[in-house]
Amino acid sequence: MTDGQSFLQSPIGATRGWWDDLETEERNTIVGLAVFGGLLLAATAVGILNPTYLLYLLTLAGMFTLMTLGLNVQWGYTGLVNFSVIAFWGIGAYSAAMVTAERSPLGWELHPVWGVVVAVVASALLATLIAVPTLRLRADYLAIATLGFAEIVRMVINNERAYTNGSAGIPGIPSVAEWVESPDLVSFLTIALLVAVVYLVLRRAQLSPWGRVQRTIRADEDLAQALGKNTFRFKLQSFVLGSVIMALAGVAYVHLITPLITPTGLEPIRTFYVWIGIILGGSGSNRGAVVGGLTIVAIRQAPSFIRNQLLNVPAIAPYVSEINVGALRLFLVGVLVILIVRYRSSGLLPPKREHIWSKTLEDRS
Amino acid sequence: MVDFDPQLVADGLVYSSIIVLGSIGLSLVYDIADFPNFAHGDLMAVGAFGALAVHGSLGFPFPVAVVTGMVIGAVVAVLTNRVVFEPMDAGPLELLIASIGVALIYRAALMQRFGTESQSYDVGGQAPIDAAQETLGIAINVRAVAIIAVTLVLVGALHAMLQYTSLGRQMRATSANPSLARVSGIRTDRVVTAMWVIGGALAAAGGVFLGLHTLIRPRMGFDILLVLFAAVILGGIGSVYGAMAGGLVIGMVHELTPAIPVVPTRYNTAIAFVIMILILLVQPSGIAGGKTSA
Amino acid sequence: MNESELDYEGGDLQKEDPLLRVEDLRKTFGGVVAADDATFAVERGSITGLIGPNGAGKSTLFNLISGFYEPDGGAVYLGDEEITGMRPDQIAQKGLIRTFQTPRKLEGMTVRESLLVAPAGQRGESLLPLWTSPSSVTAQEDELLDRAEDLLSFFEIDHLATEPSPELSGGQLKLVELARAMMTDPDVLLLDEPVAGVNPVLEEKLAEHIRRLNEEQGVTVLLIEHDMEFIMDLADPIVVLDQGRVLVEGTPEAVRTDDRVVDAYLGGVAE
Repeated sequence: MTDGQSFLQSPIGATRGWWDDLETEERNTIVGLAVFGGLLLAATAVGILNPTYLLYLLTLAGMFTLMTLGLNVQWGYTGLVNFSVIAFWGIGAYSAAMVTAERSPLGWELHPVWGVVVAVVASALLATLIAVPTLRLRADYLAIATLGFAEIVRMVINNERAYTNGSAGIPGIPSVAEWVESPDLVSFLTIALLVAVVYLVLRRAQLSPWGRVQRTIRADEDLAQALGKNTFRFKLQSFVLGSVIMALAGVAYVHLITPLITPTGLEPIRTFYVWIGIILGGSGSNRGAVVGGLTIVAIRQAPSFIRNQLLNVPAIAPYVSEINVGALRLFLVGVLVILIVRYRSSGLLPPKREHIWSKTLEDRS
Repeated sequence: MVDFDPQLVADGLVYSSIIVLGSIGLSLVYDIADFPNFAHGDLMAVGAFGALAVHGSLGFPFPVAVVTGMVIGAVVAVLTNRVVFEPMDAGPLELLIASIGVALIYRAALMQRFGTESQSYDVGGQAPIDAAQETLGIAINVRAVAIIAVTLVLVGALHAMLQYTSLGRQMRATSANPSLARVSGIRTDRVVTAMWVIGGALAAAGGVFLGLHTLIRPRMGFDILLVLFAAVILGGIGSVYGAMAGGLVIGMVHELTPAIPVVPTRYNTAIAFVIMILILLVQPSGIAGGKTSA
Repeated sequence: MNESELDYEGGDLQKEDPLLRVEDLRKTFGGVVAADDATFAVERGSITGLIGPNGAGKSTLFNLISGFYEPDGGAVYLGDEEITGMRPDQIAQKGLIRTFQTPRKLEGMTVRESLLVAPAGQRGESLLPLWTSPSSVTAQEDELLDRAEDLLSFFEIDHLATEPSPELSGGQLKLVELARAMMTDPDVLLLDEPVAGVNPVLEEKLAEHIRRLNEEQGVTVLLIEHDMEFIMDLADPIVVLDQGRVLVEGTPEAVRTDDRVVDAYLGGVAE
């Protein structure tokens, strides 16, 4: 092992060795994140950015990271197209809201743990329900079918007032703010812990024989079958696992971020955000999914942030005030999507050595 | 038993007209360019707002505005293909994702220029026609009648073009077998452009009518996109006549939901999606059997 | 079996110990008959060649045997068990492993790792054991790693072990494919054009490898190949397929001199 050797040298030498071992993309991403983090800290220090708001953004990024991690299992590992990401998020959020909230039409007011249980069970069941018939469809049909499914979920939530409160949504969900002194910090730490656990679980799965089969299916499903793999079983597991993680993101949202859920949270545009996150981060890479989660929040927040700052410049303020932030955001996202596809970007952190079991990389002479 | 309600049929015809106009272009692109164009719904919105600007801001008569809207739709469609899709040389899934980007850009432009509030055309014609009320017992206004009539004219013109002009024959040949069409001397790039022109213009007309029938909103097109996909998939991807039939059926189903027992009215759109998913599972080539005609 | 199809010189009509039997296998695609009551058997321990002009239905037959196509009629037996209508993965697990004419590249895997995928039913292919009994999962992976190492040296490609799978040349890919198939410890190997697009030196090597697998490890081989020299040299008996039917079955010499075979190929050329 080279690690042991480098530890014997000076700490600087060890660091340099570690840096030299990195791939170009890894270095770029580290530098990029460091610069970005530095800018955020600087902005907080000079008061442009409120620390509470920064924590809120990071918590939001954690939630989106859960969603990109979930989609990465489906699309990155196995190559399954899922355009109902936000529906599974919504199922998680509504499961938690319906069984725990004081003003839920069900009126059960159960402990949040039950919200998690219901969310996991409901999302797993619905994922199975949609996956069993559709997983053999071509990628483009699967995209349309899953988007249709997501819209049906949104319609049901909008219409079944007796359970969901319809378009008014469910307020008063027990929130972290009711339990602790500094809810922002606790929210952030909780979501960070959740992301870490999910990340480790997924990494273990990815580096296992299970993950190797999924990668084979993505590259060549016929080959996987010819090697005796029941590919349907593997695809189903991947779809359900990813969907459950998306549902957990929904649960986290209502308890940790906003104690209110309405059907507008289930807009299909959010599914596309998660897709952009995964493609930008690097499909197939868990680290890329984390970077993707951060990117989503940056893309969503940057237009209004920049606009607000530019409004302080008197010379251009009249023009800037004409800009519709929502439109600008859509425009930027649209351009980004086209550029990614046009230049076949493999993302910021494509999975090169990352998902290869390290033992298969050693020289075993 | 379900009672036959002429009112629902009349409403269904109006909605079907809009769906038919939208799904023809979607089907053409899906067939020849080989990807589901998620920007097609927002293209309808572009046409609707184009007509709004020409009519409302510039003050031209409404029929002129409709035609201008169709021209705008065609130009935007062709330009988008030239600038975005054609240079890409990517698979269906990549093009699908790129088309989502295009959809967002269209919508962003509309939101920036026209705002996010719902608007409507100031043309009147909303009062029910007395004659229809007395003879058929249905409430139908001039707008609805105009939508159905103009759609019939447009669909008829498309039919004549496909059957009796050389461009139409070339389009059908290209759809049936692109490589054969190319070797037999058909300039497929011309055919592809023609297809985007037709698809864009009809989508714009459908968008104007949707705006006329309901309201003009930047999101109007995206909200109807999946219904268009339902029609296209039902009719069989690539078949213009299939898209017409699929559009008619889906539009009718959408409005006739009140007559269907058990299913609550508010799930009318969901029924369209369920039909679509079922067709995808059972026979992805559609009920019309796929590409038998252009 | 129809005797006239098997009347080669000195041939025994009845196979002593057939491991794979194909009986009256039939498949049509939109009116085109791709397999027309094809019947033949593969003797245990043999290297059987499957040849025929383009479009004779060789690949269709492979797809039917390995479960990728469902036959319209007829049956396939592996040993005493009928495997007709089983899924490809079920057939593979019974010990019948096939390769593909044009293998796709396995993105994101080293050669060594692409070998580890092969054995079916590994403990780590289920999710729970990854956390409930991680050591047994890793122990099995380590065993397979040793096996992969042995196979890589058997095929003389140890130097490629850490190479990214997509960066292999066509010939290297063919070797890796063979090694991967052997990871599953198969009873029968169905090789679809194992030397297509491979240089003569490597071709010779591949022939030698296949022969050794057959002799040393007792693997029964059924292979399709366009290269006549290669297949005549390696396989015995040879089954000739024409228009979905078994035309002749016999030793390479018998097949070489059979008029019907010559006619079939000339007919194919004349088309």
